[in-house]
Amino acid sequence: MVKLMDKLERRLKEDAALIKAELAPELQERIRASLESTQPAKQMPRTTKTPGTSLWWASSLTGLAAAALLIVVINWNGGVEPVVEVSDAVPPGITWSIQSGFPLNAETAEWTAPLEEELKNLQSDLEKARESVERDLRLGL
Amino acid sequence: MAKEGSVPAFSELVEIYQGRLIRFLLGRCRNRADAEDAIQDTFINAYRYIGSYNPRWRFSTWLFRIALRNAARISQVAEATADDIPDNAGDPLEACIVASERENLWLTARRLLSAEAYSAMWLRYVEDMSVRDIARTLERPMSWTKVTLMRSRRRLSAELASGHEATANGEAYG
Repeated sequence: MVKLMDKLERRLKEDAALIKAELAPELQERIRASLESTQPAKQMPRTTKTPGTSLWWASSLTGLAAAALLIVVINWNGGVEPVVEVSDAVPPGITWSIQSGFPLNAETAEWTAPLEEELKNLQSDLEKARESVERDLRLGL
Repeated sequence: MAKEGSVPAFSELVEIYQGRLIRFLLGRCRNRADAEDAIQDTFINAYRYIGSYNPRWRFSTWLFRIALRNAARISQVAEATADDIPDNAGDPLEACIVASERENLWLTARRLLSAEAYSAMWLRYVEDMSVRDIARTLERPMSWTKVTLMRSRRRLSAELASGHEATANGEAYG
């Protein structure tokens, strides 16, 4: 099969060489005259650059601008810092209520109040048990 | 120079490509007059739109693409007026072939293959174009070009193997 393909390729080339065709001088002259009477169409120059190569520096500039903006924002926030220092003079509880708008520790107290009451009851029971043991010891002596 | 619109520079390109183009067009056109009209239009169009030529591609690829478009256009016109003008000029390709004992394989190819398959084979084996360039010239996908070349080779190989190159009952294929 490979030999047959090789033979085919060789035959195609050989047979193409057997096709003898030339342009008549009259036709050549006609083509030349046509070319001289024809003006190339005005076209925009074709850009060979691909979008990737033309935009790499643009994206770099965008990155730089974003970085510069970030630095400016950080510095701007840094400039507001003294305001925080002034607020340090105010007691923490007040500061918290001012900044948060509502007392978060109130909810915490509601959650822990039953436990604190339970602890008091346990301590009271423990005290009663201790007193009962002491009384029994005194009676024994 | 030719790209800037210089007629002498472009005339050199005409000198280089005219023989290659006319041999190709004789296999694509109904008669020699059509092939000559096609080649003239090809050079004029190429010169007029030389500014749109992209040097990334071979010049021959671009030129053969224009030639194929012109040949197709002229063939359409010829088919539309076939009843009005009888074609007695005979086969233009056969008229240019040096006498031989056996049938020229390109006559076999034209008999057995479709016009596009014939063009693909010519561009591959006479113009030594790559499959990519052929696909671009024929304005077809790469896959189509590969399959067409493969089928055309098989068809012609089978014809070579059978030794029946002169049989004229083949159906156009490709």
